[in-house]
Amino acid sequence: MSALPRLSTIFLAAITTLVAVLLYSPLFVPIVSSFFTISHGSVDWSSPTLSTYVALAENHDMLVALRTTLIVGVCTVILSVVSGTLLALYYHGRRSGRSLLQFIIFLPFLMPPIISGLALLIFFREIGLERSLLTVVIGHTVFVLAIVYRTVLMRLQSMSRTLVEASYDLGATGWQTFWRIILPNLSSAMVGGAILAFALSFDETMITILVTGTQSTLPVRLWAMMRLGFSPDINALVALILMFTVLLCVLAARFLIPRQVATERT
Amino acid sequence: MNQNTDLLTLRSVSKSYGTVPVLHDIDLSIKDGEFLTVLGPSGSGKTTVLRLIGGLEPLTSGEIRLDGQDISRMPINRRPFNTVFQDYALFPHLTVSGNVGYGLSVRHVQRKEIARRVAEALELVQLGRFADRFPAQLSGGQRQRVALARALICQPRLILLDEPLAALDLELRRQMQVFLKSIQREIRTTFLFVTHDQEEAIGMADRICVMEAGHIRQLGTPHDLYYRPNCEFVARFFGENNLVAGKLGPVQGELRSIETALGRLICSISDQPHLKAAAEGASAYAAFRPEALHLADAKDTDNRFSGTISDLAFAGSSTVATIAAGPDNAAQRLRLRVPSRVDGSALRSGEAVSLSFAPHEGHLVLA
Repeated sequence: MSALPRLSTIFLAAITTLVAVLLYSPLFVPIVSSFFTISHGSVDWSSPTLSTYVALAENHDMLVALRTTLIVGVCTVILSVVSGTLLALYYHGRRSGRSLLQFIIFLPFLMPPIISGLALLIFFREIGLERSLLTVVIGHTVFVLAIVYRTVLMRLQSMSRTLVEASYDLGATGWQTFWRIILPNLSSAMVGGAILAFALSFDETMITILVTGTQSTLPVRLWAMMRLGFSPDINALVALILMFTVLLCVLAARFLIPRQVATERT
Repeated sequence: MNQNTDLLTLRSVSKSYGTVPVLHDIDLSIKDGEFLTVLGPSGSGKTTVLRLIGGLEPLTSGEIRLDGQDISRMPINRRPFNTVFQDYALFPHLTVSGNVGYGLSVRHVQRKEIARRVAEALELVQLGRFADRFPAQLSGGQRQRVALARALICQPRLILLDEPLAALDLELRRQMQVFLKSIQREIRTTFLFVTHDQEEAIGMADRICVMEAGHIRQLGTPHDLYYRPNCEFVARFFGENNLVAGKLGPVQGELRSIETALGRLICSISDQPHLKAAAEGASAYAAFRPEALHLADAKDTDNRFSGTISDLAFAGSSTVATIAAGPDNAAQRLRLRVPSRVDGSALRSGEAVSLSFAPHEGHLVLA
């Protein structure tokens, strides 16, 4: 596309920059302002400080919420990676029932979270399951399962079928083929899926509010704080969560982009 | 190793995918220690034959016998055969030695023993220095040799090779052909090599099995197939050939005449009893190679006809002339191959020529 006239190139560049600034600059405001004090409802730009972060670290409720978030995240990751991988393995190469299963798995991910959350809430009440961290973990797993399933299935599909055939051909049993060939080739997809699942669980708010008991996770805590009024440590919290999420996504990308394209099907 | 004992026998083997038949009643014997090439165009069922033998696909009917024992139902991981796959199928997460040693380690061979045999196998394929590399760090030719080492380390009775050279460039392919053949001689193992490239087949095989549309068309030495093709398909598929349609005439000892648009041609039928037995007047082709055809001189009385050179193509060591022959010099297109000369060919485009081939260099195939 080198043939574009110079003027239109400049015009396109200007539009692109404008859109990028409008869309993404709000994200940077809390990060920047978290390093300044706020007095009388406006940011005091004259003296950079880390005091908001100190206040955050001393906020006991916040630390408890962070711990809860991590517990939920880890449990969700374990549950969703195990079940997502099993589902992907079971349905890989099987035609019947696969599209229905995929539809069901993707439904909670695509539906408005409030609908998924309400459905879960009603379900838990009907079967008499008390709202607790367990129900939160179940809710999160239902929500993120689609990501893990999809990630693992994609890797399975890109894996050359002859790898499995070669393993059998060399005398391996089905069990040996699974542990020594299939699983190692899936592991990076599983790690990538796990990181994405953790990031989603970490940020998830709506379903959590509906199905949690007395304990709140970090985003829920943040939401509660917002209702009471804007305090400076919210900026710090938003900045931290944002950076953490970005870090997770970068990590996930590293695991999910195939390292060796060359060996797979020429 | 006795080249006369049958290692593996396929008896009326058929295979269908759903309702689509891909192999019809195949009978094939593989001799112990031979290099057998299965040659055919794509869709001829040649890869299916290999997959059935390897156990990668179940038979629809018929049986496969190893040393006389039926192994049709034996699971793939118990068959004493190993395969070199077309895409090599190297395990990307294992090093070269991990790949080569895999077949031994799944059989719980001791570590020391595995290390020793892996080193030996890598030495054999000249990859000793690459033991710790990953497949992605190797070139195509190197990967191919890893795949070969991985297959032969288990000391299989038969090594199955599924178009292993298809992905390599021409020069490398030639080198690998020589290399494969020398390895086969060294380890004295039976090779079943599947390819669509007839040049590859001629270069390596002890015997060639030509397949088309799920049938075996001919099984024989490269020399047999080249000079005594038994059907039109083999005559056309295997090397360049001139085929002239006609009706069979009477038998004269080891020769038989055929009436064609180029007049009466006399061809050899030695060692081909079915041609001797064929009825007079039956449709057949006279087949003669471009290099057997030559400009006629006074001595040539048989198989003499005239034509016009319509095209000349320089092909390095030889020059190929396309000739229009037959009534009005239009009925038949023939190819003539003559050695090239530095001062230019003696032939000129548009020139009328008189041509001939010796009766013992002409052959017959039934239509």
